[in-house]
Amino acid sequence: MDVTLKGKAAPFSPPRGFFPRFDWRARRVWERDLVAWLKIYKTSLLLNFGEPFMNLVALGFGLGTYVASLENVSFAAYIAPGLLASTAMLGVSYDMAFSGFAKLHRDGVYDSILTGPVEVESIVGGEILWEISRSILYGSTFLTVIFLLGLIQSPLALLVSPLMVLPGIIFAAPALVVATLARVEDQLFYYFTLAITPMFMFSGIFFPVENLPPLARNLIWFTPLYHVVRLSRGLVLGRITPDLWTSLCWLLVVAVLQLPVLVYFMKRKLLS
Amino acid sequence: MQPSVSSDNIVVVKRMFLLERGNRFLETNAVIEARQLQKTYGQALAVKGIDFSVQRGECFGFLGPNGAGKTSTMKMIYGRTSISGGELYVLGFDAKRQMSQIKGRVGVVPQENNLDPELTVLENLILYGRYFGMIRQEAGERARARLDFLGLEDKAGALPHELSGGMKRRLIIARALLNDPEILILDEPTTGLDPRARHVVWQKLAELREAGSTLILTTHYMEEAARLCDRLVVMDHGQILARGEPTGLVEEVAGPYVLEINSSLLNGDHLVPDGLVRRRETVGGRTFLFNHDNGTLLDRFEGLKLRAGQYLARPTNLEDVFLILTGRSLEE
Repeated sequence: MDVTLKGKAAPFSPPRGFFPRFDWRARRVWERDLVAWLKIYKTSLLLNFGEPFMNLVALGFGLGTYVASLENVSFAAYIAPGLLASTAMLGVSYDMAFSGFAKLHRDGVYDSILTGPVEVESIVGGEILWEISRSILYGSTFLTVIFLLGLIQSPLALLVSPLMVLPGIIFAAPALVVATLARVEDQLFYYFTLAITPMFMFSGIFFPVENLPPLARNLIWFTPLYHVVRLSRGLVLGRITPDLWTSLCWLLVVAVLQLPVLVYFMKRKLLS
Repeated sequence: MQPSVSSDNIVVVKRMFLLERGNRFLETNAVIEARQLQKTYGQALAVKGIDFSVQRGECFGFLGPNGAGKTSTMKMIYGRTSISGGELYVLGFDAKRQMSQIKGRVGVVPQENNLDPELTVLENLILYGRYFGMIRQEAGERARARLDFLGLEDKAGALPHELSGGMKRRLIIARALLNDPEILILDEPTTGLDPRARHVVWQKLAELREAGSTLILTTHYMEEAARLCDRLVVMDHGQILARGEPTGLVEEVAGPYVLEINSSLLNGDHLVPDGLVRRRETVGGRTFLFNHDNGTLLDRFEGLKLRAGQYLARPTNLEDVFLILTGRSLEE
């Protein structure tokens, strides 16, 4: 027994457990998100889907008519799989950062869940499962649209839907970490301005980053969206090269490494 | 459906035997036992080593002002915050290691109304029930029964922000009762409610108490504590200052009567008759003369020609206990 803490600053030490749990309790957290989302799904889909779709139409078919083909496909066909990846990133990031902030700081949703027999690990598991669902939904919807526009060149494109599991994890985790750190909602925009927007611009969605200076190229290689774009494009255009396996492995490593970090920050916020 | 608690001793004892190894066996009927319980936040000591035990079927109160350490104590009991020192057993489970087991067996009314704003009243309850592993139908039935019990059956489809303060509070109580808890923990159940809404909540808590539920509540309203609690502790600055039954505590600490009188009227001690006053406290320009006979004492002040408002002769209450123990008033 320790009664020795008197006056000593006790640094936060999380209770045992540092990996999200994907148990039945996590599925209940997922269910809560689903019920809430079903009330607003039209707005939600329109907002998360509208922007990349307009980018595709304006850039792909508008600007695209002035751009010579890239890597032997039309500009629209080149950017479509990249925009698909960005839809997943944006949808997941915005939802997780803003709804996570509200649940943590304003509405006490996680607080109320924690008064039931649910631990932080299961809450994190449930939120991750939910963002994976969103990511698959957005990715698949966008895939359908570019199929209808005739921009798909390979049946391998069907694998894009399961691929969306990875951006679901990879973009949900940092967004929720940022939400635990923010004190006011506006601070979330730092994350979008400093991380999400640069990734959107410089991950090979609109132009091949291979032509950039080596420093920029190497930096970009470490960002996750770049690899999601490469995989998405490879599958949609049917161009499977060995280095896509490297991208896949890199994304898996990033996804797995982020999860304990997220659990740590959630515990720090919710249990200290 | 009666959201009550079994008070059958045999069941209790049997259950205690069935608990996992490593649990302490409780020989008594205590559902909560705390020894030298401590909570620190960084440098600050919120709870400074308190001892208490709560018996099955009683209503146990923590009375004290804001910052007394009541909420920290509650949060340790329902496994929402870690224990910094000492020991705490809830329903025979070690609160340091077995939070999950405890959380499934207690109901919690937290200080803030943390209702899910995106879900309707009924959905708030059903989805909460789902966290306890209830199937959808069972959660729905229980949710409707709790809404009936708390008089919210007409509000099933409303969103939380459409409810009044009192209704929100009742909904939180409904939610806390959803899992048929063995202990219901209420952190300031009526703070911020108007008198009418407060009485409705008191009525419901009294019904639960009658039905044999174990209730633990914190409050800074002495009326609430006096009305609902079988036993209580008075807390301030993280420590327990006194404990007992409300009436016994008042009798013991404050005596039967008090005469409040504006301090400015008492020019010097010579005006206060010695033999009659057992204790004297002064707070905010008001002097409290604790005594056995307000009538006789008032007669001695005849010369002051007291007007209404300058004095108040009344029986003592828990507020006076707090005043005597801390030298300040409870509600500030």
